[in-house]
Amino acid sequence: MSVVRIDLNRCIGCQTCVEICPLDVFYFDEAAHKSVLAYPENCQSCGQCYLNCKGHCLGISNDTYGYPITAFRGVTTSPMNRMVVTEPGVLTELTNGKLP
Amino acid sequence: MNGKEGAPRVMELPRPKEVKCPYKEQYQADVAVIGCGFAGLNAAVSAREAGQTVIVLDKGKPGYSGLSPWPSSFRWFDPERGDDEDAFKEAMMRGGDYLCNLRWYDCWLKESKGIYQRLSEWGILAQYPKASEAGDFYEREDFAGYREMFDKFDRHKRWVEVLDRYEIPYLEHTMATDLVTAPGDLVSNGLAAGEASAREGEQPEKICGVMALHVPSGQVITVRAKAVVMATGGGSYKPTGYPVGGDTFDGEYMAYEHGLPIMGKEFEDFHTTSSQAPGNVFLDNHWQYLENIWLCGGDVDKSNVVDYAASKGNIMAMGRVRKAVNGVAQADGSEIQDVATASYTRRGGSRVYETDPEEIRSGKMSTPVAASALAGAATGMCCHLTSGVFCGLEDTDGATGLAGLYVAGDGIHATSPSGAAYPCGVGFTSCFTSIDGDHAGKAAAAYAAEEEFSEVPAEQIAAKKEEILEPLKRKSGFDPNWARDVLHSIMAPYWVSVAKSEETLKAALVQVEYMRDHVVPKLQAGTSHDLRLCIEMKHKVLSAELKLRASLERKESRGGMYREDYPYRDDENYLCYIVQRRAVDGTISAEKIPLPDEWAGNREEAYNSRYIYYFPGEPEIKGFEAPKKQWGQGGRS
Repeated sequence: MSVVRIDLNRCIGCQTCVEICPLDVFYFDEAAHKSVLAYPENCQSCGQCYLNCKGHCLGISNDTYGYPITAFRGVTTSPMNRMVVTEPGVLTELTNGKLP
Repeated sequence: MNGKEGAPRVMELPRPKEVKCPYKEQYQADVAVIGCGFAGLNAAVSAREAGQTVIVLDKGKPGYSGLSPWPSSFRWFDPERGDDEDAFKEAMMRGGDYLCNLRWYDCWLKESKGIYQRLSEWGILAQYPKASEAGDFYEREDFAGYREMFDKFDRHKRWVEVLDRYEIPYLEHTMATDLVTAPGDLVSNGLAAGEASAREGEQPEKICGVMALHVPSGQVITVRAKAVVMATGGGSYKPTGYPVGGDTFDGEYMAYEHGLPIMGKEFEDFHTTSSQAPGNVFLDNHWQYLENIWLCGGDVDKSNVVDYAASKGNIMAMGRVRKAVNGVAQADGSEIQDVATASYTRRGGSRVYETDPEEIRSGKMSTPVAASALAGAATGMCCHLTSGVFCGLEDTDGATGLAGLYVAGDGIHATSPSGAAYPCGVGFTSCFTSIDGDHAGKAAAAYAAEEEFSEVPAEQIAAKKEEILEPLKRKSGFDPNWARDVLHSIMAPYWVSVAKSEETLKAALVQVEYMRDHVVPKLQAGTSHDLRLCIEMKHKVLSAELKLRASLERKESRGGMYREDYPYRDDENYLCYIVQRRAVDGTISAEKIPLPDEWAGNREEAYNSRYIYYFPGEPEIKGFEAPKKQWGQGGRS
C-alpha cells in the first residue's frame, strides 16, 4: 500500500508532494526539477500527495510494499535491485542503483 | 519538461545526496509549540493572542501531519439547541466505565460551542456537497477530480493560513527530539504532595528550550523558549489502515525521560481496517477524508442515555473483542456501509435534524464506503484522549510537573473526558483537543509572561546533538524499518493487543525488552530520513513496554482493555487511573490514582445495571444472565 509514480514526465516540479507528505517519502531533485519518490516503504497511503499532485503524476497502489521479516536486516541507502520503468511497458532492473 | 536535454525521463531519480536546510540553527520565542494539529494550532494562537511570541515545530506540514487532517466529524454541546447536560454526562460516565474525568468533560460542555465558532471562522469546518451528491465523481471513483472541484474548501490549507494571519512562524519537517532544561523549582504534578518531575535527591528542572531535527537535511535546530507546549499526538507501531504514521509517541518519550507520569497506556484504540485491502488508508477512508467535517451533537437525551452509552461501548470496546475471540467472517468486499442511512445516534447527529431546518448538526453523512472488519488499524494507538502525561486530577491547564512544560491533545495529554472507552459519539476528539490546546496555550503564555529566558546550557546542547546524530555514525547495525516490522509483529496479534492475559503480555514483554536492550542501541541510519526512523523506533519501543506493563498492572477488564484472565470490572481495586514513570533506579514504576467519588457513579447499583456492556465470560463469573441483544453484538458465540 503506497504511493506510486504514474508518469515522471508529468511532474511539473511544484514540490507539493515534498512539502505535504507527513512521512518524508518525497525529496526533490533541483537539477532535474522533479520530485523523487525516495521512501515508498514509509508511505502511510493517506493519498494527500496523489490528490494534490498538480501534474497528475502520482497514484495509490493496493500492493504491499515491504520486505519479509528476516533474522536481522541492515540499512541500505541505494535502490538495489529495484525495477524501474525505462519506457512505457518496459521494466529494467537497476544494478548498484544504476541502469545497466 | 524535465529540465534536461534528451529523451523524456520515465525512471525514478535517486534520492539527492544533500538537502539544504531552509532554517537557521537557532531560534527564540516565548512559547514553543511542538506539533500543529488541532491542539497545537489552538495552543499557538491562544498563546499569541495573550501577547507572547510563538514558534511552531511540526514533523510534517501543519494541516497535513499527525491525526488532525483526518476527522470525519466535529461535535459540540449546545444548550440553546436543547442539549441536556445531565444526559450527556451520564452517557459518558456509564459508557466510559467510570474513568471519565468530569472536570475536563465540564470544559467540553461549557466551551465546545466557542471552539466550534473559532474553527468555523478559520474555515476548517466549511461545508460542501459530498461526493455521492456532486456530479459523477463517486461513480467514476474520481478522487482527485472531486478534490479539485472543491479545492477552495480544502481544510488542510487553513492551518498555515491561520499561522500566517497570527504571524506565527513555523518550522516544517522538523522533529522535536529533546527538551532542554535548566535547574528550576519543584512544582506539583498532581501526584503525591510535593512530588514532581524531580524525586528525592534529584535536581528540579525547568524548561528552557527544545532540540529538533530538520529531517530532510539532517540539521539539528535549537529553539530557546520560556515555555513549551507539547501537542505531539500519540502514536502507533505501524500505520495499517489508519493515517497515524507520523505519530510515534515522541512527546510521551520526552516526558517520560524527564520523569513525568504517563497514564492510560493499557486502553486500546478501536479503529478497524478493511479485509479487502488491510493497510490501505486511502482505500479504507477515501471519500470520508475528502469530504467536509460533518457537524455533530444533540444525540443524547434522558430517554436514550443508557442505550446510547451501551451501543457505543459495544461498538468501541466489544466489536474488537468479539472478532478476536470468534474470528472474522469472510468478506468479498461487496458489503458497502452507508452511514447516511444509519440512525441519528450512529451518525452522531441531532434528533431534531430531520424536522428542524435550523439544526445544522446532521451527524456524519459521508459517502458510502466498503465495510471494514479487521481490528488494529493503528496497533499501539491508545483509546482517544485517555493516554499521555498525567497532570493531576485538579488540572485543566495541561501543566506538567516540569516547570514551563505543558501538554495538549490526543495521545500526549491524559485528560480522559471519555474514560476507558470512547462513548462520546463521533466528532468529539477534534473538538476536545482544540479546547485542550486553547487551555495549554493560555497557561503557557501566562507562565512565559512571568519568566525570563534561561541560558541554554551549551554542554547539554552538545551532548544532545551527539545523541541525536549517533545512529548516523554507527559502522554497523540494523535497519529501523526492519525493527518497526518486528515490533509490529510482536504487538499486533490479538492475544497481545485485544484479548490480553498474564502469559501473553509477559511473553511479549520479554521480546520488547530484548529490543530495548539489544536492537534500539544498534539502530543505524544511512541518511537523515533513516535518522528520523531510528529516533521514532526508540520512542515506539518504550511505548510498547509501557503498554505491556500497564496492561499487566490492570488485572481486570474495563472499556478498551480486555484481560481474558480477568474478564470483569473490579471496582474495589481498579476504579482508578494507573500512571507509570521512570523510577530513580531506571525501572518503570506504576501507581494507582484513586478518583473522586462523584466520578464513580452509583457504586451501590447492581453490577449488571451499573455496567451496561459485558466482556466474554463476565456474566458467568459475576452470576447474571447475559442479555440476548448484547450477546449478539458483543459476546462469544
